Amino acid sequence: MSDTQTHAVNVAQNNQAPRGLSLDREDICLTAEDLKLFYGEDQALKGIDIRIPKNRITAFIGPSGCGKSTFLRCFNRMNDLIDAARIEGTIRLDGEDIYDKNVDIPELRRRVGMVFQKPNPFPKSIYENVAYGLRLQGVKNRRKLDEVVEKSLKRAALWDEVKDRLHENAFGLSGGQQQRLVIARAIAIDPEVLLLDEPCSALDPLATLKIEELMIELKKDYTLVIVTHNMQQAARVSDYTAFMYMGELIEYADTDTLFTSPAKKQTEDYITGRFG
Amino acid sequence: MSGLHAISTLGRFQRWRRAKDTSARYLIGFFGVAVVGALTLMFVYLLSETLPMFLGAEIEERTQYNAPGGADTGTIHLAVNRHRELAVRLTEDRRAIFFRPDSGDIVEEQTLPIPEDARVTSFTAAEPRTRLVAIGLNNGQVLAIEYEYNERFTPEGRAYDPGLVYPLGDESSSLLDVDGDGQPIEVVGIQRGSSGVRVAAATADGRLRLVNFEERTSMMTGEVEVRRSAHDLPSLPDGATASRILLDITGRNMLVGDNQGRLHFYDISNPRNAQRVDTQRVIHGEDAEVTSLEYLLGTVSVIVGGSDGSVAQYMLVRDDDNVNRITRVREFPRHAAAVTNIQPEYIRKGFATADASGALAVHYPTSQRTLVQHQVGDTPLHRVYMDPRNRLLVAIDTDETWTLHRLSNPHPEVSLHVLWQKVWYEGRSEGDYVWQSSSATDEFEPKFSLVPLTLGTVKAAFYAMLFATPLAIMGAIYSAYFMSSRMRSLTKPSIELMEALPTVILGFLAGLWLAPYIESNLPAVASILVLMPVMMLVVAFVWTRLLPDGVRRVIPAGWEAAVLIPVVILVGWFSASMSPLIEVWLFNGDARQWLTDAGYTYDQRNALVIGIAMGFAVIPTIYSISEDAVFNVPKHLTQGSLALGATPWQTVVRVVLLTASPGIFSAVMIGFGRAVGETMIVLMATGNSPVVNFNIFEGMRTLSANIAVEMPETAVGGTHYRILFLAALVLFALTFLVNTVAEIVRQRLRNKYSSL
Repeated sequence: MSDTQTHAVNVAQNNQAPRGLSLDREDICLTAEDLKLFYGEDQALKGIDIRIPKNRITAFIGPSGCGKSTFLRCFNRMNDLIDAARIEGTIRLDGEDIYDKNVDIPELRRRVGMVFQKPNPFPKSIYENVAYGLRLQGVKNRRKLDEVVEKSLKRAALWDEVKDRLHENAFGLSGGQQQRLVIARAIAIDPEVLLLDEPCSALDPLATLKIEELMIELKKDYTLVIVTHNMQQAARVSDYTAFMYMGELIEYADTDTLFTSPAKKQTEDYITGRFG
Repeated sequence: MSGLHAISTLGRFQRWRRAKDTSARYLIGFFGVAVVGALTLMFVYLLSETLPMFLGAEIEERTQYNAPGGADTGTIHLAVNRHRELAVRLTEDRRAIFFRPDSGDIVEEQTLPIPEDARVTSFTAAEPRTRLVAIGLNNGQVLAIEYEYNERFTPEGRAYDPGLVYPLGDESSSLLDVDGDGQPIEVVGIQRGSSGVRVAAATADGRLRLVNFEERTSMMTGEVEVRRSAHDLPSLPDGATASRILLDITGRNMLVGDNQGRLHFYDISNPRNAQRVDTQRVIHGEDAEVTSLEYLLGTVSVIVGGSDGSVAQYMLVRDDDNVNRITRVREFPRHAAAVTNIQPEYIRKGFATADASGALAVHYPTSQRTLVQHQVGDTPLHRVYMDPRNRLLVAIDTDETWTLHRLSNPHPEVSLHVLWQKVWYEGRSEGDYVWQSSSATDEFEPKFSLVPLTLGTVKAAFYAMLFATPLAIMGAIYSAYFMSSRMRSLTKPSIELMEALPTVILGFLAGLWLAPYIESNLPAVASILVLMPVMMLVVAFVWTRLLPDGVRRVIPAGWEAAVLIPVVILVGWFSASMSPLIEVWLFNGDARQWLTDAGYTYDQRNALVIGIAMGFAVIPTIYSISEDAVFNVPKHLTQGSLALGATPWQTVVRVVLLTASPGIFSAVMIGFGRAVGETMIVLMATGNSPVVNFNIFEGMRTLSANIAVEMPETAVGGTHYRILFLAALVLFALTFLVNTVAEIVRQRLRNKYSSL
């Protein structure tokens, strides 16, 4: 893995890798090749190619309705739940095509975790929320569960706040705590990738700060892909940023470069607040 | 100008807005309170109709006077007519005195046709409503006589021509030579049955005699011929002397009480070969005597009063060898002194008792209630009499002072015990829960146990829920969670439309088409129950796992359920057409007969039919509410679960059902409430037999159907009428209870699992 600050040769003409970064095969976690998504007649994604590096935080930014959340949901096939959605192109996770018909979708989703915009703990205890993914896998061993729950809550920086009330309903937590609980729940099943769909948009600044710190902490072990409206947030936490507009990937570069010297006019217009 | 104008319109608008808001608040508040008020009123009304049953009887002393016709001679009998306007007193000095009971003024006096030299030694009355009495004389003769009030209507009102009639022909033939030896008749018994009059007597020397007056209507002439036959009966054992003889209206049974506290049962169905079948000690202790003994209405059970003050009910119960035995049924509170007289009611099974300490009591056996306990005076009471409508109670003490009481005892038949516990009814060998409110005969003992009805209600609701709940909930989960939205938009309204189907049509179909169909096609029903789920699973497996993608894509996603429609039709057709073959193959050609032979009762209208028909009625309710509950589980929860690698099924079980549980629970409880209160279907398809069991092949009678069936035939204000109100109250309480419990559980579930 190269240093993110290394400015190497611009590899791809088609925006596959972030501008200014060369990636070895092993460093790539997710790739999308000519990904098109249709909602019935409407085309929401217009042929996107991207490579997302391992153990880095990649942010998708862009104005509302540009397709960034839709794109994010392609990585764990959540779009399958929408009847009208149809996908063309390929997405590879560690080189495997996740849209192959032999793919076990639950297993794919176990490997590619997801955190939603609104905290969505289940109507269960804090403990059961974190243990949920493991129970789905059929884990019944109490000690194993205890261990993973504790570890995950610690990783999500929530342990100290909830260790005395693990068996209380998760709805008793504040919004920021709930979102960290959801992250703990996602990492409890040891995914490779964590997709975060505007994880802080429903939170106050302090809670947002905590989540951001947590994301930086988590990239040691996971590949994080975050969709955000908040350009400051993208600038603060991400290593790479992709700017999307009207279902197309306009520009993809390391975050500093993208925010300081965007290559495209549209990017510049967006980050300087001229539209969006 | 325009500024002022703006302010004034603003002010007007605000006033108008405030007025609307205020009136809406009061209106909504009023209607809310009105709903609660209406419910409360309903409850209060039902309660006010039922409460009088549980209040006791009231007794009030009205007048006291010396015996009309002189206190120097003893009263042997007293009877009052049903309007309490005329009464008759028979005296020891051979007089029949008709008088007005309110004042004691004599209206008419007649002499009984008893020889001058004879003395009255004994007396008895047949069932009070027959007005037939027998008087035993010291010359071995018995006078059988009837008194008559001969009520007439004149422009001025009712008038009477009272008199005496001779039931066995003319005056002379009514004086019977029961004992040829001329021994005094110490005890006499008389009864009129369907075949004629029977007289039994015990003579001073301890012999028992039976005289039969058999009435035969000649086939040729239509004349009534009375054939007299006299028989000697076996004497009492151990040299006991009889103290009372009772004959029943069937002419088969005779009971004799003796001076040693025992009761003897004679089978006199064949008088030439009459036998003493059973002897039981009924009064315990030394010198114990049966001081009074009287049949209750219908002459099935007998009340025994003892010298020790005990009062108990006995009747003949067949034992294991099919022999009638004298059996104690129940006892009543003991009197402080010897029971001197028992007076049965004319048209009910109740009775009054009097004792030697001057106290009287009114009891009712079925409910085992003692409704009145009243001290008349210090002088021992000699006799107690009632009028046919149980409004007047006359107590006569040994000084022939008469005390008249007004009695109000409208509902003695009901007690909590009668309603909810096993009651030992007349003619039965043990206590049981029985609902039988009316019958063709007057001697009938009403059986008002609410247990069969309540159980029937629960049974009907249970089987309906057994059928409806799984179908409705599974269907709700499928259509809310798996079905495509277009198919859902067709399915859901269709099922909800079923709710609009009048239940009378469902009941009609269930009773007249489904019940006979099931009866003749039992194997079809059984095989549908087994085959349908199995075939659905098989088809589902083949469809999803074995068929190539190409075929599968013919049906769009979310429309897979449509594939099952031909399967349902096919399985139904197959089961129906295979039914006769299965019957021949497994059940010797007749499944119903086979069930009966195996020891199961099979009624055509049974709980299975009700389960299906009423299940049909509650499915839309349960389906609709639980479908909404499942559908309203927030998408972010199901997505959260799926995103964690859960399969759709895991998501349904672990998240969706959990979150929707308050709604599903309400759905089930509302369905149950509907099944409990449902009337038309159970009325038409249950058979309405009030049985106490949970057999799926037997019918039931529910509270609601019972009210519908019996309300038209009750007398307003009567016990039966009030009991039906009580049934309504129980139904009301049952639904109220179900709904309250449902609401509490739902609230708790919602606090626990709701995600909103």
